[in-house]
Amino acid sequence: MTARRRHFSARYAEQSPTIFLILRRMRVPLIFLIVIFSVSVLGLTLIPGQRGTGMSFFDAFYFMSYTATTIGYGELPEPFSGGQRLWVMATIYLTVVGWAYTIGSLLALIQDRTFRQALALRRFSRTVNRLREPFLLLAGYGQTGQILGRALDSLGRRMVVLDLSAERVDALDIDSYHADVPGLVGDATDPHTLDLAGLEHPRCEGVLALTDSDEVNLVVAMTAALIRPDIPVVVRTLSPAIEHRMRSFGSPTVVNPFDRFGDHVRLALHAPASYQLMSWLVGGPGAELPAPGRPPAAGRWVVCGYGRFGRKFVEDLRADGLEVTIIDAAEQEDEPGVIVGDAADPAVLRQARLADAVGFVAGTDNDATNLSLIAAARRLHRGLFIAARQNRRASAPLFAALEIDWVLVAAEVVAREIYAQLSTPLLWRFLQDMPGRGNEWADRLLDRLQAHCGSRLGSVWKMTLSDAEAPALGPWLRGGDALLGDLLRSPHNRDEQVAAVPLLLLRDGETILGPEDDVRLAAGDQLLFVGHPVARRALIDIMLNRATSEYVLHDRTVPAGWLWQRLSRRIPDS
Amino acid sequence: MSLEKVVFGFFVLLAATLNFGFFIGDLSDPALHNVYELFAAVVVSLITTVLKFGDRTQIGAVHLATSLVADLQLIAAALMWAWGTQIEGGLTPGTMAAVVSLSGGALLANLVSVVLLVIETTTFHRR
Repeated sequence: MTARRRHFSARYAEQSPTIFLILRRMRVPLIFLIVIFSVSVLGLTLIPGQRGTGMSFFDAFYFMSYTATTIGYGELPEPFSGGQRLWVMATIYLTVVGWAYTIGSLLALIQDRTFRQALALRRFSRTVNRLREPFLLLAGYGQTGQILGRALDSLGRRMVVLDLSAERVDALDIDSYHADVPGLVGDATDPHTLDLAGLEHPRCEGVLALTDSDEVNLVVAMTAALIRPDIPVVVRTLSPAIEHRMRSFGSPTVVNPFDRFGDHVRLALHAPASYQLMSWLVGGPGAELPAPGRPPAAGRWVVCGYGRFGRKFVEDLRADGLEVTIIDAAEQEDEPGVIVGDAADPAVLRQARLADAVGFVAGTDNDATNLSLIAAARRLHRGLFIAARQNRRASAPLFAALEIDWVLVAAEVVAREIYAQLSTPLLWRFLQDMPGRGNEWADRLLDRLQAHCGSRLGSVWKMTLSDAEAPALGPWLRGGDALLGDLLRSPHNRDEQVAAVPLLLLRDGETILGPEDDVRLAAGDQLLFVGHPVARRALIDIMLNRATSEYVLHDRTVPAGWLWQRLSRRIPDS
Repeated sequence: MSLEKVVFGFFVLLAATLNFGFFIGDLSDPALHNVYELFAAVVVSLITTVLKFGDRTQIGAVHLATSLVADLQLIAAALMWAWGTQIEGGLTPGTMAAVVSLSGGALLANLVSVVLLVIETTTFHRR
């Protein structure tokens, strides 16, 4: 990344330090205190004591200092006269009131909302300015942001969060993140807020616009593209029109959950194993192998709710040559065949001839409606394949209890999609190319993954066979006979394999998906592995440690230390 | 005309005049310098400082700085006076000269304050 200078003070008015806010608010109490003190001291110097003269200024100030602060050493330097006592009595009450007023004002100021906001803003911008690692700017910390935040945090990525809701930003402190995530309550459409959140920070490596509002996401994408054209932008949207407008600014990655869900549905229709592999890999570290699921049969589908989601879904089904019956509460101009009516009404469902349909989609934007629709459809036809849209996160247990074949949770689709793109670019590439290899290939790869890693996904990582990352492999790679299978032997027993499966080999822009053991490696190759973290450490050991790599690759035992290598005259060739 | 400006101008000028009143006269002669006048100068100077708190303009910042200098000088003068009366057991001409010259420094700072006030008035006469 280039060393960009921040020109932040030039573009936006500098925030005044909070100390000035305190000083301005404390003007009246402080003046009140000074006046009370000076009147009391002056009075003591004027009122005659027992010797007939007043106290000196020094004594008077000394006396007032310990009296006003309620320390009270007594009458010094000599017992007071009656007149002095009368005056002191008045000053005691006056100074108590003065102090109470001053301290009260100070406490009220600390409780004050504007003051706390000013403090939080300063702390936030200081934390962001001090970030020395690459970080992502998340605008919008709703469901999607939270799921994605956790996944990225487990990869060790840093984030800065912006959201309109104070509750969500406060939740950052409660959420168990490994790294400190600075959060600000603010409007992401304001460029100054984005700047405070580090848009112009040289370490900002990407902007994610994930708010619920398409308009806000559009503005964030525009701002990022205009101010930082050099960093990637990922935007969530539901509307194709907005997507088009977003693409006119730079080249943001636009994620439309309905669109992606349609792609997934088509993949699941044609290649269930590919779909299963994809949903496993994007599940993040520790994801369980998803159940194979019942493949939907070909036939007529009934779709309830013809909104943005319904339209997209119908479009995808029709593209696959499937017949679709649509039920919606309102008449649709572009769809003459729509059955108008409340889908929960048995008469309406009967009209849709559920009995000879194969699939049913509950796609309204109301969870209660969707749940009741599913129950009603199930009553009419037991074996229906059911897809449903879940709108609120709180409804998840209800949808799970109904045992629905496919549940669309827009937030999860977006989060997983972005995760796959940001975690390792190679994984994204793999997911893009994988469906092209067909169902049987995916099935075989799934078997291989299960044989090596079990049903729980390990981590996914990338390795580069360069001199910097794999110094111990140099001679072997240059030898021209470097088989991938030899590299994957276990350092403990080279007749066994490490628990890792190579997913993809990238060489000069060309990819080999699921490379087999007989693939020849060359220097500079990039490999994407999935497997157990122990296997990752073993591979790193092979790549870095000459003694390990000699054993694994050539079955030769070489002393690890320099001295012993010289003594035994067994020096690894370099 | 706003009351705030009147109060502000009043205190800035009063700080300067009281300071001047204490300073004038033979440096080392205690009879020519009334201690009550020094006391009043310290108090008014402190109040002026507080009045200048929290002004974010450039001229406000310089105002605050001059006032802080005046405070520092006057408090040093008061400490000097306390040293002379309480520890040396009487004001010697040398101590008195130190007290008065310290207050002379404060006077200079107060004069700068007055000049700033005049500049501010002539620049922003419309407000």
